[in-house]
Order: sequence, then structure tokens, then C-alpha cells
Amino acid sequence: MAKIKKKGQSGQAKNYITRTQAVKKLQISLPDFRKLCIWKGIYPREPRSRKKVSKSATASTTFYYTKDIQYLQHEPLIQKFREQKVLEKKISRALGRGDVGDAARLERHAGRPDQTGKPRYTLHHVIRERYPTFIDAIRDLDDCLSMLFLFANLPSTTSVPAKMIARCERLCHEFQHYLITSHSLRKSFLSIKGIYYQANIQGEDVLWLVPYKFNQRVVGDIDFRIMGTFVEFYMTLLGFVNYRLYSSIGLKYPPKFDQTKDEKGAELAALTLEGVNLATNDETTKAITNGEGHGPDPKVQAEVDKLVKKLRTETDGDKADVEMAEGEDEEDEEKATGAIDKFEPAAPGGDVLPQPTYSGNDPSKLFANCTFFLSRETPRQSLEFILRAFGCKRIGWDPILGEGSFTTDESDPSITHQIVDRPIIQAATTEQGDGEDNQTAQKLGPNQRYPGRTYVQPQWVWDCINDEELKEADLYAPGAALPPHLSPFVKPMQGQYDPTIPLEEQQTEGEALDAEIEDAKDEGESEEEGSEVENDMDVAEDSDDDEEEDSDAEEEDEDEDEDEEQDEDGEEVLQRQRELEAEISGKAVKSKQVDPKLKAKLDKKKALERKKKEEAEDLERAKGMLSKKKRKLFEQMQYTNKKKSTEDMKLRSKRRKLEKEKAAGKA
Amino acid sequence: MKSKPVEKKRKARDEESDSESDDELGNGLFDGVLEASEDEEDYIPSDEIDDGDSESEASEGSEEVDEDDDDALLSDDIPSDVEGDDEMGKLRKGAEELEITEPGVDPKPKHQEEEGRNYRIEKDANGGERYVYGEIDPAYDSDDSDAQGPVNTIGNIPLSFYDTYPHIGYDINGKKIMRPATGDALQSLLDTIEVPKGWTGLTDVNTGNPLNLTQEELELVRRVQHGLVPEEGYDPYVDTVEWFTSKQETMPLSAAPEPKRRFLPSKNEAKQVMKLVRAIREGRILPYKPPEEREREEEEKEEVHFDLWQDEEPAAPNPMHIPAPKLPPPGYEMSYNPPEEYLPTKEEREEWEKTDPEDREKEFLPQKYNSLRKVPAWGTLVKERFERCMDLYLAPRVRKNRLNIDPNSLLPKLPSPAELKPFPTVVQTIFRGHEGTVRSVAIDPTGVALATGGSDGTVRVWELLTGRQVWSVKLSSEDPVYTVRWRPTKDAFILAASAGEDIFLMVPTHSSVTPTLDQASRDVLAAGFGYATNGQQPATAPGKEPAGKWARPGTKLEDAGVLVRVTVRSAVKVITWHRRGDHFATVSPEGQRSSVAIHTLSKHLTQIPFRKLHGLAQTVVFHPLKPLFFVATMRTVRCYDLQKVELVKIVQPGAKWISSLDIHSGGDHLIVGSYDRRLLWHDLDLSNRPHKTMRFHPKAIRAVKYHKGGLPLFADASDDGTLQIFYGKVPNDQLESPTIVPVKQLKGHKVVNQVGVVDIDWHPREPWCVSAGADGTARLWM
Repeated sequence: MAKIKKKGQSGQAKNYITRTQAVKKLQISLPDFRKLCIWKGIYPREPRSRKKVSKSATASTTFYYTKDIQYLQHEPLIQKFREQKVLEKKISRALGRGDVGDAARLERHAGRPDQTGKPRYTLHHVIRERYPTFIDAIRDLDDCLSMLFLFANLPSTTSVPAKMIARCERLCHEFQHYLITSHSLRKSFLSIKGIYYQANIQGEDVLWLVPYKFNQRVVGDIDFRIMGTFVEFYMTLLGFVNYRLYSSIGLKYPPKFDQTKDEKGAELAALTLEGVNLATNDETTKAITNGEGHGPDPKVQAEVDKLVKKLRTETDGDKADVEMAEGEDEEDEEKATGAIDKFEPAAPGGDVLPQPTYSGNDPSKLFANCTFFLSRETPRQSLEFILRAFGCKRIGWDPILGEGSFTTDESDPSITHQIVDRPIIQAATTEQGDGEDNQTAQKLGPNQRYPGRTYVQPQWVWDCINDEELKEADLYAPGAALPPHLSPFVKPMQGQYDPTIPLEEQQTEGEALDAEIEDAKDEGESEEEGSEVENDMDVAEDSDDDEEEDSDAEEEDEDEDEDEEQDEDGEEVLQRQRELEAEISGKAVKSKQVDPKLKAKLDKKKALERKKKEEAEDLERAKGMLSKKKRKLFEQMQYTNKKKSTEDMKLRSKRRKLEKEKAAGKA
Repeated sequence: MKSKPVEKKRKARDEESDSESDDELGNGLFDGVLEASEDEEDYIPSDEIDDGDSESEASEGSEEVDEDDDDALLSDDIPSDVEGDDEMGKLRKGAEELEITEPGVDPKPKHQEEEGRNYRIEKDANGGERYVYGEIDPAYDSDDSDAQGPVNTIGNIPLSFYDTYPHIGYDINGKKIMRPATGDALQSLLDTIEVPKGWTGLTDVNTGNPLNLTQEELELVRRVQHGLVPEEGYDPYVDTVEWFTSKQETMPLSAAPEPKRRFLPSKNEAKQVMKLVRAIREGRILPYKPPEEREREEEEKEEVHFDLWQDEEPAAPNPMHIPAPKLPPPGYEMSYNPPEEYLPTKEEREEWEKTDPEDREKEFLPQKYNSLRKVPAWGTLVKERFERCMDLYLAPRVRKNRLNIDPNSLLPKLPSPAELKPFPTVVQTIFRGHEGTVRSVAIDPTGVALATGGSDGTVRVWELLTGRQVWSVKLSSEDPVYTVRWRPTKDAFILAASAGEDIFLMVPTHSSVTPTLDQASRDVLAAGFGYATNGQQPATAPGKEPAGKWARPGTKLEDAGVLVRVTVRSAVKVITWHRRGDHFATVSPEGQRSSVAIHTLSKHLTQIPFRKLHGLAQTVVFHPLKPLFFVATMRTVRCYDLQKVELVKIVQPGAKWISSLDIHSGGDHLIVGSYDRRLLWHDLDLSNRPHKTMRFHPKAIRAVKYHKGGLPLFADASDDGTLQIFYGKVPNDQLESPTIVPVKQLKGHKVVNQVGVVDIDWHPREPWCVSAGADGTARLWM
């Protein structure tokens, strides 16, 4: 006889473990367990059948995989947690004794693990475990960056120490510096929540949100201990990611940090990047090759390169010569497309630009020839970051915005673009202002401008980088009504509403017809008065439609045929009636005046409706043949699709209305 | 009250001192005591001396003293004390005797009163007794250090108050302290001239005497005044005596040879040093640094970074791991300056604000700012981030396979109905005439006449194409005509109809009925009477009703053309003819055991084939080719072989309540309609389960019917008032599955009391069908 199986000893009951059980098994407190779960990336699982897993489980019971918990058991961090607990106990005991001095000593020496046994933990092993490859880490960078950028903008409180904020800020700046030097920022979007950025790092798209520079309101019950745990992990993660990124482009990490500059609000400029390849070229190359693992053999590669070069010079010798004459820098940039090129000793101090070109026009050169000046009211941090990331080297701003600018002199003649975000003041005030002593840093009157430069609103910059071209500046002139700012992250999908495409191209046939009919009617109304009857009839039709919608679907189906017939009949009857009336009164028949075009359109509409009905019938026929499961699935899909399409329809109708209004306004 | 125990204590002490001192101190002291007793004022000092002695004793034998002390304190029983003393030793008898003679010291109260008292009794001003205690003179080393001579007790008041009195105050006993005699002015002058030694010119406040100072005291005052060391002859700057000098004495103090340890390095010290060295090496001892600096260093240590992915190896991801889903990227409506069509209208805004935050479809409303500087901070950003964090670590992740397919791809590819023509599409004729529901329709085998039976109890025959009623008969005034069915052969024109328990067989008049055909029909019906009279009726149990009674319906009906009436046990709902026309089966669902009956027309015979039925019989059908008989109960369809009389097959359509059944003319396919809205196609060769389940109606299906004339059509009739026409091609090849395509939904019948279309029949050749509706009409569709 087979062994009798006991309940709860195998299968699902064994695979899952409740949180309470897990905490008991690990012998740590719930907050420690939470920390561990956050760091190790362990999350609850939903069993297929709660009943099979645990009879007593309620809806709120959280389950974990037993294997996950077993995996946590071997975590060295648990030991650190225990040590921490011991230290806390010691301190509390000292306080209980009234021995404040001892408690203070324990607390003070808490930083010295040798003296007190305060645990000092590092999280890098956890990061390595969670992200076995660097790409994995990059893939998971979205939340990390959003979180750190948010914390960099938080006010410091007891729960969010100033040190943490400073470190977040620094890490963020370091990361931004990488994006600037590697030109890997791709898109950015001004949303109501903040500014979204998208970068392409080693082929992975990373999207994060940076809040606007305001004091963040902390509302609701937010547990900053949980947030802090996340931030602690993310800080470590971004530190290591930054290291790797910096070393991948031949920079030293951490970059030099200038405290005094930072205090003066230099932000990005407080960090000074140092290339490693200048001073200790060999070391970095070694490091990089190690990092890349199975790279090609440097010697072989060098030979191959030499050969290639030879060939190239042979084939287009003259051209190459000219290029060489033009300047070494350019050539270096061109050549230094791959990491392998670093092995060439022939490039003394050449910049390393390993990023492959992203598209036809290089994003790193979008603003290369521009010199910007930012007015006081513009968001300096984001503008500086974006402009630098897209190749702008010279950005000046008002001294109020902090240090680190290319120039603080607004009248600098080299400035080509000035970004302003202030309304145009009435002319009368400007005249008065001339006489008075202006207290602001402006040297010009409020509406006066320096000649020879372009004045644009900040949105211009965002639209430029998203479209990868310099947009027409006159659309974005100060005081002008801005064109809508569109999200670059929306992928246009077939059949979905797209605000960039004209309405005519995306509306359905029926909608177009409706619109046309309405237009025609409006025209008719304005031109002639004889279409009253027509209009009345239309109203009647409308009400009919409404009733139909209200009534049950079944009946609707039933009656449709007859209704149609009746409608037609009714029309004829009306026509005859009109003719009769006309005869009696001795006037010409009015309804003849109905525009033939309009009639054709109406007919068309009718045909369309008939077609639609047929299609619906077909669908109904096909649906009846589906199995129950498939039908349910189909209906669900239809539901979501319908919802989307109604939303799109709403948008289209709104747009139509707006366009009409606009046209009316123009006329 | 307070003074009493103290007094007693003192007494007790006296006793002790007496009792003990007599052994050791001898008589010398007693002498003193005796002397003191003589002079009352000297008594106390002597007592104090005793006390001191006794205390010195007590240090030797403190236990005894304590005990005695306690006794004295706790009890007033002094005689017992004395008795104890007596017991202590009789050797001291002599001394005791001496004691007795001692006045004032004797512990015994009577002796005290009589012979020795430390007070005198005087008469006060009122003549009463007044106790005057003798002065107590404390000895030098007594406890009472304050008591020194008579002290003026007047307190801190000027002496001038007493200028007019002969005294200057009162001592502790209230005795006046007399003013010391002062000489007259001359005398005082003289006194000033010849200054006595130690004269200061001051008056002692306490005594009123001139305050004189001794020579030593004066000297002391003088030295203090001059800032010298008060004590004479004290040298504050004594020469140091160099006891231990660096100079080597010629003669060492010790002549012992220098020990070896002086020349060897200390092991212990080496140990201590090594300990420190080790600590330094291990970094346990660090040079002092200001705390801020140390903190900074530690932070730097924490922030050590290196290439974590130096030796990375792409590992296959854990199949159980589900990466956290990324947040969706922002859409157009999130822009600070969205296209205007994304902005909510007033109604939308109001609706959004009205709904609870949990129920909102979108958690924000699109907003438009015409300038970037006007964009405020997003209020709930921190909260949203926090919620994301909570989701990351608390939300169970489930992998959901979202079918990213076009929903239309799920739909089967059906051929266009246009290719599958012909099939009925429109209503051609409406047969009006019945009052109430038309229960049943049937088209005659030649395809010219339509018979209908209605709730009004009539059977009507119509011209099929024109809709003209040609014949009508009222079979019953109460019971509706449930079913009408034509005999399927063309050699006779016979209609069977059921009303209540009766089945009527009739020959209606119709233009197509020639007299010969009419006669042939009548002959067919009449043939059985002869057979019945031959006495071939099956024997029925006595007292039991026969399964069917065949009779003539009466002259009135016979004149109308109704020739035979068969009465069965319960109301007949279904009649089905065998293809040859000799047999027909009836079903009366309430009929329990006898619900299914098979009638033989030629013999006027009624048989009940089933002794027992599993479930309620709903309908029956004959196999078109083989001697098989299908009985549909509520859940199953059973197939019986009539020749072998055995159950061949049980078909399980899976419906809850079968309403109707029809078999394909090929005999291998079955359609079943059910009240639970399903239409099921069975391939009898393939499986007991349905080959195809179709749901086209939101209401129950009442009837299903195959086209029997060779067209691949079938139809069902439903309570929703519609008919669904299907194209159902049964392939010649057994392996191929039948093609089933819904081609048309026919709408027209009105739903009355939730009953729509009740029955349906096909034309024997043409693709036309007739339906019977609850609205009192029958319709011909073509």
C-alpha cells in the first residue's frame, strides 16, 4: 500500500508560507523582514487556490514562496540585523539603569564596530544577486531614478535626514553628468507631475520623473521608513551603476566634488569630471576590458585596425588627407565609435565617444552651435541638463539662478538664444520704466530685446529635442500661444486617436459624413429658411434614435427592419403631405429646395448605417458559433476596445468642435 | 512627657554604672559621688563621669548594656531591675549597703525621696510647692558643650532695657543675673587711668562685666592684625630635607646584589606593549580625530564603489521571478500644455469631482497652463511614489498573459451567406386567423397545403402560397391543438392532430385533393376498423385502461373530414410519423409510464413500448432509414432499436432541458434544441457529446427542424420571437465534419407572454419555412 499522504505536507500547502510564519522562521522582527524583502526583491505571491494553501487564510493574508524565505535564511544581512538588535538592547539597558553616559558611549561609538559591535552592512552583494548583469540593473533603473530625484528635492526632516538628501542629489548629478558626456538622453516631456526624461543607456530605455523645483508637499500617511529603505538600496545601486557607467566612458568615479561651489548653487557644475585615460591610460583600459569580459584581443584588434586604416587611406587618400588637415579632433570623434578604439595609442588626449549614433542627425550636436541665456524665471536645472546633454557647451544664466554659468552677462554678444518665460508687458509701462531706476538685474527695459538673438519660451527646447530638430522659433516666441506639448512616449497605434494627424485622416466614415451633413445643414440654415421642415424631421429622427437606445437591445433588433420601412414610408407620406399643402396654398413645393448634395449625403449615411447593421449581424452570427470560453474572451476584448474607441470618438468630436469654433472665430 | 523617658534612661544608666563600677573602679569613685551628693550642684558632673565610664565598659560588653538599656526604656519596672541586680551577685552586698546610704544616686525611688533629691521644695508666691532643681554642672567632656556657667537668656535685645533694673537678665533657671557692681564715675576714671592687664574697654554682653583679654589672646590679635602667622614660632618656609637625592651615597642602604630582573626586559610590559601594537595594527586603536572628521571619513568609507559587474555572467532568469512592471509612460493628457481636446468639459469635470477618489477612472484631470512658469508642484507626487514603493514590495505579482490579438481573429471564418443561398430571408405570407397562439404548423408532403393548430382548439388548412384558409375544424373547445402533423406519404392526404388526450386523424378538403386521393385517404384510415373488429387488440389487464382507444369521432366531425379519434391516457403534445406512414408515435409528457406511445394506423393498434423511462419524455423521432427510435427525455436522448427491442445509444447533449429534437435525413446527425437556449448538433457516429454547441438566442429554443428535401438547411425557433436559419451541410465523406453556418436570423413574430415562435416546419422541396408564433400568426418565409 502506498504511503498515506498527510494533509498540508505537500503540494501548494508546502510551497507557500504566510508572512507571520516567515517572520517566525527567520526570527526577525517585522520591520527587519520588510527591509529584507525590499532589498532582496522578495514579494508576496498569490496562490492559485488560497484554500488549498491554508484553510485559515483570510483575504488579507499574504503568502510568500517557501523557497524565497529559505533563500532569505542564508542572507548575511540577517546577522547584521541581529547585531543591531543586540546593540539597541544594550543601549536601552544602559538607559534603564540610568547610566546615560554608558548609553551615550554605546551610541557614540556605534560607528566603531570594533568597540561596540554596531553592525555595518553594505548592500552591494544584494545588488549583485538581484542584478547578475549590468543590463539587468539598467533595466530596473526607472524606479530608482524617480525615487532618488524625488528625494533630492525633498525638504529635510527627522525622517529624511539632510545627509540622505545631499547624497541623493549628488548621485543624481553624477548620473546626469554621465548622460551629458555620453549624450544618451533621448526624450523629455513636461507633464503636470514633473519632467519626464528618457535616456538610452547601452540599448536600454530608462524613463524617470523629476519633480518641478518646488517644496514637495507630504500629504497623507506616508511611511518614510519604507521609503528610506528603498532609498538606501537605490543609493547603493545608483552608486555602483554610476561607477560602471563612468568607467565605461573613461571617467574617474567619483568625480571631484566642490563643496563651496555646491553651496553657491552650482548644482551640476559642482562636480568636475576627471578622465582616467589622460593620466593613467593603461589602468583604465585594463579595467574596462575586464568589465567587458570577452572582448577581442587588443593586439589582434590593433593589427586589424591598422590594416583597415591602410586600406582606407589607400582608397580615398586625398579625402583622408584633407580630413587630417582639417583637425585631429574631428577625426578622433569619428573614429572613436567603439570601445576598441581606445587601444590606439595614436590619439593623444582624444575624447572618447563610444556611443553609437542614434539616428541620422546626431543628438549630441543639436545645440552644439548655440549659446543660450536663461532668464531668471526659467527652470535652470532641467534646461541646463537638457541643453548640455544635447551638445550645448555655452549656457549662461542670471546670477540669481546660481553659479556655474558660462556667462551671467545678458548682453553678451555671443548669445544666440535666450529662453524667457515672462509675459509681454504693456507698452505704456515700458516707457515709464525707462525713466526709473530699474532694480532688477535687467539692463534693458521689460520689453526690449537684444538684437541678433532668438527669444524663445522653454517649451521650444523640449519640442526640439523630442523631434530632434531645431523648431521654428517664432511659434515659441515670448507671449505667443504655444503649440500643444505632446508626449514623445506615446507610440501611435492603428485606429487610435493621434492629435498630430489632421482630423480628416483619422475619423471614421460615419463621423465624417455626420460632420459634413451638419455643416451642410448649418449652411442651409444660414442661407435659406426653407429648411425648417427638414430640420424638424431631423429632430424627430434624433428622438427616435434616442428611444431606440433606451429600449432593450432585443426589441431594438426586432423592430429595426420595420422601423426602417416605416421611416421610408413616413418620409414619402410627409413629402406627399407637403405637396398637397403646396397645392392648396398655391406655392411651389418647399421640400424640393432641399440641397441635392445634402440628400446624397443623407443617402450615403443611410447606406453606411445599413452596412453597419449588416456587419453587426455578421458578427452576431459568428459570435454564436464560438465556445463559451472564447465568447467571454471576445466580449471582454470588445468591451475594452469599445471603451477606447468611444474615448477616441469623444476626443475627435471635441476637436471637431474646437476646429469649427476656431474657423468661426477666424471668419 | 518627652522628658520622662530621658530621665528614666539616665536613671537606668546610673544603676548600671553603679552596679558595674563597684567591681572594677573601686571605692575611689564612690567617694567622689558621696562628695557630690553633699553638694547638689556637683552631682551632675559625677554622674557624667560615671556615664563615660559605663560607656567605656559598654564597648567591652555591649550586649549586656544594650539589654539593660532596652529594659530600662521599655518598662518602668524598676524594682525588677533591682532584683536582677540582686541576683547578679551577692558578692556586691557590701557595696549595695553602701549604696543605700548614698543620697541622690540610689536608684530606689523611696530612698531618693527620703534621703537624696536633686531638687529643693520651696514655697512660691502663692504658697504652693515649687521644685527648684540644683544646677547641673557638666564636665568638660560632657555632651552638653553649650552649658558654660550662667548664661543670660534674655535673647537678642539691647541691654539698655535693663538699665533701670538691678539685674541684667535671667539664667536658665529663671534666676536673676545681678548687675555687677560698678564703681562711681571717679572710680571708673581711675580705672581708665590705670589700665588693668588685658583691659579692652569692652563689656561682655552676657555677663555685663568688662571684657578682658589675656596676654596670649592679645598677642594673637596683634599677629592677625599684622598679617602674620597666628601661631608663634611657626615657620612656613622650612628648608626642604632631601631624603632621596640623585647623589649616590657612598654607603648603600642595602648591600644586596642587584637582582637579575633589573637587567632583563619585563615580560609583562612586553605583553602589554604587544597588546597595544596588535590593537593598533588591527585598527582597534586609532589616533584621535575630531568627531566631525571621523564621521566624514566613515561616510567616505561607506561610499566605496567598484566595478560590481566585473565578472558578470548572464544567468538565465529565474522562471518564478516576475520583474516588477514598469509604470506606464505619460500620455498626451499628462502634458502641461495638452491639445485642447484632452481638456475635460465642464460636465466631465463635475462628474470627476463627484465620484469618490477610489472610483475614479483617471486619478487626475488634464490641465492646461499657457506658460511653463505657471505649472505648480504636483501635490500628490510623494504619495504616488510611496504607493509605488508599497506596490513593489507588497503587491503579489501575477503574470497575466494578455492576448494581444485582434478580437476578430477569434471569430470563425464563416462563408458569406450570399454563397450559401438559397435560404429563407423574408416573410412571404402571414396566416392570420387563429385566436391565441398557433401551436403547430405543418406543410403537407406535396407542399401545397399548410396545416396549423392553435390554442383555440381548431385545426386549419391553408393554401401555402396565398395564405387563404381552405379548411377548418374545431376539435376541442377547451384543449388547444398541440400538434398537427401530415402523414408523410403522398398516396394519401391525412393529417394527424392532437387535442388534449385525443389524437384525431383527418382528411381535410383542399383544392389539390382529387376525389381518388380523398377516397384513398379515407380507405387508409378505415382499414384499421376492420382489423380492430377482427379482435386483434392486445390484451390489457382487467380494470386497466387500454393504451389507446380507437373510435370514430362522431358524425359532426366526420362530416368535416375528421375520421378517427384515438384517445390515450394523457394529453398528447407531440406526434411523429414514421416515414412509411403506417406508424406514428405520440408523446404525452405527463403520462408517466405511458408517455410514449406508438400507434399503428393499419391495425388501429396502440402500444406502449417503455415500461419505464429515465426522466420525462419530451419528444420522439423515428430514424429515417433504420428501425431506430429516438426518445428525448429532459437530459438525454436515447436511441432504441425497435426490431431488437434494445437500447442502442444514449446521447448526452449536456442541456438542462431538451425541448425539441430532429434527425437529419441521412440519419447520422441530430439537432437538439433546449430550453436553456442552446442548439446542439450531434454527430451520432462520432460521439455522445455534441459536435457543436450554438447559442444564438437570448431565450429558450422551442423547435428545431431539418430541411427534409435535400437542401442543407435547418432552423430553430426561439421564444425571443426569432428564427435562426442555418446552413448545415453533411458531407458524404464520413471523416469530414459537417459545415454549420448560421445564415439568417428571421425576425417578425411578436413575443406574447414571453412566448415567441413555437413551431417551425420546412417545405418538402423549396427552401421555404413556416413558423407558428404566439402572436396568433403563422408565417411563411422564403
